Amino acid sequence: MLIELTRRGGIAGALALASVPFQARAADLKGGTLRVALLADMQNYDPQQFTTLNFPLIKNLYDSLIEYTAAGQAIPSLATAWTIAPDNKSVTVTLRDGVTFHSGAPFTSAAVDATLKKGADPQKGKNVFATMSVVKGWSTPDAKTVVIAFNSPVPDRQITDLLQFVSVIDPAGIDTVETKAAGTGAFTVAERVLGQRIRLVANPKYWRRGEPVVSEVVFTIFSDNNAANAALESGAVDVIYGGGGRAAVRLRDAGYTLIQGPGPLVQVLRINSTRGPFKNAKFRQAFNHLMDRRAILRVGYAGLGVVTALPWAPSSPAADTSYDTAYAFDLDKGRALLKESGLSEAEMNGWKLLVNAGDEDGVAISQIVQSTLAKVGIKIDLELRQGGEFVDAMLQGKFDAMFGGVGNVQKFPTRVATNSIYRTVKNPVLGDPHPHPGYVAAIEQVNTTFGAGDGVKAAYAALNKAMIEASFAIPTNTFDLGLIVANKKIAGFTPEIDNMLVARTIGFSG
Amino acid sequence: MNPMLRRLLAHRGALLGIAYIVLLAAAAIFAHLILPSDPLAQDLANTLDPPSAAHWFGTDELGRDLMTRAIYGARTSLITALGAVIIAGLIGVPIGLVAGFFGGWRDAVLMRLVDVLLALPGILFAMALIAVLGRSQFASLLAVGITGIPSFARITRAQVLSLRQRDFVTAVEALGGSSTYTMFTTVLPNAWSPILVQVVILSAVAILLEAALSFLGVGIPPPTPSWGDMLRTGKGFLYEAPYYAVLPGIVLTLTILSLDTLGRTLSRLIEDRQSAEDGP
Repeated sequence: MLIELTRRGGIAGALALASVPFQARAADLKGGTLRVALLADMQNYDPQQFTTLNFPLIKNLYDSLIEYTAAGQAIPSLATAWTIAPDNKSVTVTLRDGVTFHSGAPFTSAAVDATLKKGADPQKGKNVFATMSVVKGWSTPDAKTVVIAFNSPVPDRQITDLLQFVSVIDPAGIDTVETKAAGTGAFTVAERVLGQRIRLVANPKYWRRGEPVVSEVVFTIFSDNNAANAALESGAVDVIYGGGGRAAVRLRDAGYTLIQGPGPLVQVLRINSTRGPFKNAKFRQAFNHLMDRRAILRVGYAGLGVVTALPWAPSSPAADTSYDTAYAFDLDKGRALLKESGLSEAEMNGWKLLVNAGDEDGVAISQIVQSTLAKVGIKIDLELRQGGEFVDAMLQGKFDAMFGGVGNVQKFPTRVATNSIYRTVKNPVLGDPHPHPGYVAAIEQVNTTFGAGDGVKAAYAALNKAMIEASFAIPTNTFDLGLIVANKKIAGFTPEIDNMLVARTIGFSG
Repeated sequence: MNPMLRRLLAHRGALLGIAYIVLLAAAAIFAHLILPSDPLAQDLANTLDPPSAAHWFGTDELGRDLMTRAIYGARTSLITALGAVIIAGLIGVPIGLVAGFFGGWRDAVLMRLVDVLLALPGILFAMALIAVLGRSQFASLLAVGITGIPSFARITRAQVLSLRQRDFVTAVEALGGSSTYTMFTTVLPNAWSPILVQVVILSAVAILLEAALSFLGVGIPPPTPSWGDMLRTGKGFLYEAPYYAVLPGIVLTLTILSLDTLGRTLSRLIEDRQSAEDGP
């Protein structure tokens, strides 16, 4: 199956659907009931609430306009083609025929219109709202076409990121989408027992041929990782989704299949540069050398990931591994920068590292940092907070420094600014005006540089340099939230760019 | 030797309990002299090592020696127990003394206050207090101490109520002894025995409660070694390092068992003495 994609009214390209290999594979797989262990219950059915709690469901109940391959190449989904205007100020999206929602209603441009309206609403748009900030408006010339206009020229990748982020919701169900799923996805919700299980059944009218492979998916919620592991090993479940790294490595070594998706998060030491010694740039820059990244990766994430001094996944176009060497763990370089800071020993001490008490791995890596800093004469305490109290402190900037994962690191580089610490405006930690104008300017440069030539590379290089100079966030390593561990009978996993679970291609082999 | 102490030491279980507690206290006090390693020293190249000649009980996820941390953890537990008992005793005993000695409205008011404290589940109250004060050893100690106040107050009151009717107390009052004098020099010295038993029992409860708070993640913050925190963290490594949680578990169990045996034996000996004093 070949799909023609056009760009700037003249450049035409043809791409094979990335799901073709999976469709071919699907023919070799058997159906049945797929039993999946989760470690937390889902939040709700709104695909615009992009929390990891909803990751097991979003791609199974909804389809987005386009998808990305594991390498980051845009491929059709509900949109069969998209044409970016020569001035990069609009995109025309052609919608797929013959698709229906779970309700039986046909999928048309009216549904995209309703979904975009929800995304652009500050109250209802949830995680999509920030991404919609570049959108000026949209129109639906006919039932199968949507034209989205932008405030100013937007780079191609940022446009496809937006299309990939939009999971289309049935207009009739848009007001009740938190409690009742309303998508076009491969499965529909058959049963939900709060805190215990969610059962999905195959959508008989699903538009992708031969999918879903299994007739039913049963998610069982386990209270802890060890219980889920025991269930997998005893054969009570087929797959664990979203388990911890250590357990995943152990199970992999015991012969189970371990799948790491293409969309990791990056662990980042977030620094409040408006407080105490962190106002000093040299003091902050020293932390690039004071992070024992390899130890953090090994202890916190069982080595599942890569060390990185920049907030990018390896597949990001802005990734630059030379920084990993230049800013590697080096106590002497760290000490030299601390000395250059001109701060006294008393000024460098006395701050606290905020830690999520419920995150054992976070507690462990925070202790590594605490111990490393003690070696260069910085004595700090860990400030452990639980659940909501921790999140409040994080989102309101009530901390000196803390670890926190950042997402969207595999997409267009400026998407990193959707994470609170990297925001260029209304930054909840650093405030307005942004205290690091060099970083803000570098983000703007990336946002306004188009094409794929040297100019874009220079913009990425400038952003990387600005991030190191500002050093209000010190990346340490990538890690996976959506690890999949499965027994050997299960096959057909689709690598999803955000590491969400795609159950439609999964089936039983042999 | 005091006959009571002689009878206590003659009891094998109590003797073993005392020996264990003394040994544990000595190890905790002199840990920095007898142990070669620092409980906070990380060795990230040797994490989760199994028991070996270098690390008798293995290492934790940060390469710290588990035996060292378990012994230093005794400091945390014993200091918490000691502090909690002092707080509970200093507040609970006077409350019970005044309530039992004077009776009337003082008794009613004070004991209702104690009832209020008693109505609050200990661990819930401790967690709420820690939520307000923040996680620290002092907060844990204070929380555990406050939850121990009712038991001291009630036991002291019960003892004082009994002693209040005795002839020697009436004699002191008849000779012009003030209330304060009678309470503190006549009644209290004769009420010590059950209070002493309560000290031992509350120590066990305090150690267990501190461990429970740490196990729930609201106790003393890391990296300070604590048995409850070791159990909590070790739980996550049951597959990779099953020995991790074993040592703190054994030490905690033996400590509680020793204090409990000691407390029960003391209680029985006091009962025997009272029976002997009361006559057939």
